[in-house]
Amino acid sequence: MFLLRICMMAASSLRANLMRSVLACLGVIFGVAAVVSAMAILEGSTRDAVKRFETLGADQIIVTNGNDGQRRSRSVVRPSLTHPDSDALAELESVENTAPESIITAQIKHFEKNLSIQLLATNHNYTEINEYKTVRGRTLTKQDVTSGRKVCVLGHKVARGLFGETPAVGARVRIGGLGFTVVGVMEKKGFLGMRDVDEQVIIPLTTGLTRLFGSKYVQFITIQVKNSNELESVSQEVKRQMRVEHSIRAGEPDDFRVLTKEQITQNVGGFVDIMAIVLYSIAGISLVVGGIGITNIMLVSVTERTREIGVRMAVGAKRSDILLQFLLEAGVVSVFGGGLGVLLGRGFTKMLENVTVLLKTFTTPRSIMLALGMAFFTGVAAGLYPAFRASRLDPVEALRHE
Amino acid sequence: MIELRQLRKHYKMGDSIVHALDGVDVHIAAGEFVSLTGASGSGKSTMMHLIGCLDRPTSGSYILDGVAVNKMSDRQLAVVRNRKIGFVFQTFNLINRTSAVDNVAVPLIYSRKTSTKAAAMAALEKVGLTPRASHKPSELSGGERQRVAIARAIVNEPKLILADEPTGNLDSRTGEQIMGIFHQLHEAGTTIVLVTHEMDVAAQAKRIIRMRDGKIVADEMLDDKKRSALQAEALRSPEPVGSPT
Repeated sequence: MFLLRICMMAASSLRANLMRSVLACLGVIFGVAAVVSAMAILEGSTRDAVKRFETLGADQIIVTNGNDGQRRSRSVVRPSLTHPDSDALAELESVENTAPESIITAQIKHFEKNLSIQLLATNHNYTEINEYKTVRGRTLTKQDVTSGRKVCVLGHKVARGLFGETPAVGARVRIGGLGFTVVGVMEKKGFLGMRDVDEQVIIPLTTGLTRLFGSKYVQFITIQVKNSNELESVSQEVKRQMRVEHSIRAGEPDDFRVLTKEQITQNVGGFVDIMAIVLYSIAGISLVVGGIGITNIMLVSVTERTREIGVRMAVGAKRSDILLQFLLEAGVVSVFGGGLGVLLGRGFTKMLENVTVLLKTFTTPRSIMLALGMAFFTGVAAGLYPAFRASRLDPVEALRHE
Repeated sequence: MIELRQLRKHYKMGDSIVHALDGVDVHIAAGEFVSLTGASGSGKSTMMHLIGCLDRPTSGSYILDGVAVNKMSDRQLAVVRNRKIGFVFQTFNLINRTSAVDNVAVPLIYSRKTSTKAAAMAALEKVGLTPRASHKPSELSGGERQRVAIARAIVNEPKLILADEPTGNLDSRTGEQIMGIFHQLHEAGTTIVLVTHEMDVAAQAKRIIRMRDGKIVADEMLDDKKRSALQAEALRSPEPVGSPT
């Protein structure tokens, strides 16, 4: 009850000097806005990444170029995966299917229409492994891949963009200067892993590697296992087989990486952690600066209200009451600034979302409470010194103060 | 009610020591109406601060309402001020950003009372300011502000009211109204100590204590004859220019 009254007194002195209060807590406003934005961005990107990886099957293993050591030491990843590796892995007892994949950004042309696309070179297993279906025509066949045919299957958006409502199957398109025949159009799928496959065009791996990609290596191999409970043991098996394929002697490091869906999600988590440290540092610094602003304004306020403090002491305020009052006042000013900061942060993240499109944000009630709590403690910490000064005033001197 | 024995207060001013109070002995009984008067620098303000428990004596003893307060801690003194003493100042000392009734309620907040509104309104009623309860001090006249201040002083029903030049910032007609309230409070049994240098105001009390150079030079009970003599004297010699506050 007493605390509530003290808070009300604090609120009334805040109201009496509204403009100054707003200026005093500018730092806190921006600090809290930064905290709220940081948390919204982190939460949003984590959720987004998790949602995307949800689309990956739980029965998949992915083999990529490079190894753990190379990744850490920023050296250029030397490619090693090949089409024959993929076929060899498919021979394993526990493996259902494999799909070697390479992706580049390319232009697709149909008469005057020109689109930027993700060009995926893969084999006939890709669509099956990912449960990705055609709506028109057919997907790649084994023959397409073995004889290196110049055929392509269009993603949903690509087909719409190039052909609109007119039929695409059978039409001729040019990709990277090479003529292709459209044999099929895929269903609308959205994200599959990190890519929007609706903006993707699929061609046979052999055609891609020999004529467009200029490399005999593939970027990764997706493996579908027969029994998803055996993911770990199959991973080990794949590793052994790959070392045999690449003739790696005992003691020498792998020149590839074997990842399960869980490990990929963890990698995303690691990236998010680094982002979190950076964003929270910025937010922390602005809160400290905000705290200094509040200390400053509270010192002015204590000097201005010396006489009032004297009167309060005369009518029975203890030193601890005065201390508490000014501490809470700093806290209330700060929370008020925090409230404005939350609004500003929400506005900022909404704007980011609209401008960048790609960036997803998500503001939880928890993050708002956390930001307001941080603002309150910043205020109280900032108010400590001014409040202490106020509480140590001599009542006689304070009453004489002009 | 108030018992001062050999009360001294010394201040250091640079190298020299100022004897603001130099051995004062006073006894004021409960229910008395006493004026404390003297020229600027006579020690009457120091005396008021000590009686009001805002300050502690350098030496000597002060017994207020049967309790020795000269040895109390800051915290205990705050409680004594809150429960036993009501202050009225020359410059009113109201908090400008809150309403009259909220100003009156301030002492109740520090006594940790849960409901303050009713008591604050009752105190305002005693000084005849009920209709102005929700006005801010800046919307009130000087006399009204001083009445709010008196309501604040009496809201905790203290035994002692200390008034420091309460009419100093008011015109004489308004000053008389304020003095009227003090008379009412006195009749209701409250002890009143009125610090003033204005002789016609001081003469309204039942007893007058005169100070000079930190000592009491006269302490006399006033009957009607003495009172009218003092008032006549006050009329003949108008108050000096640059009156102390």
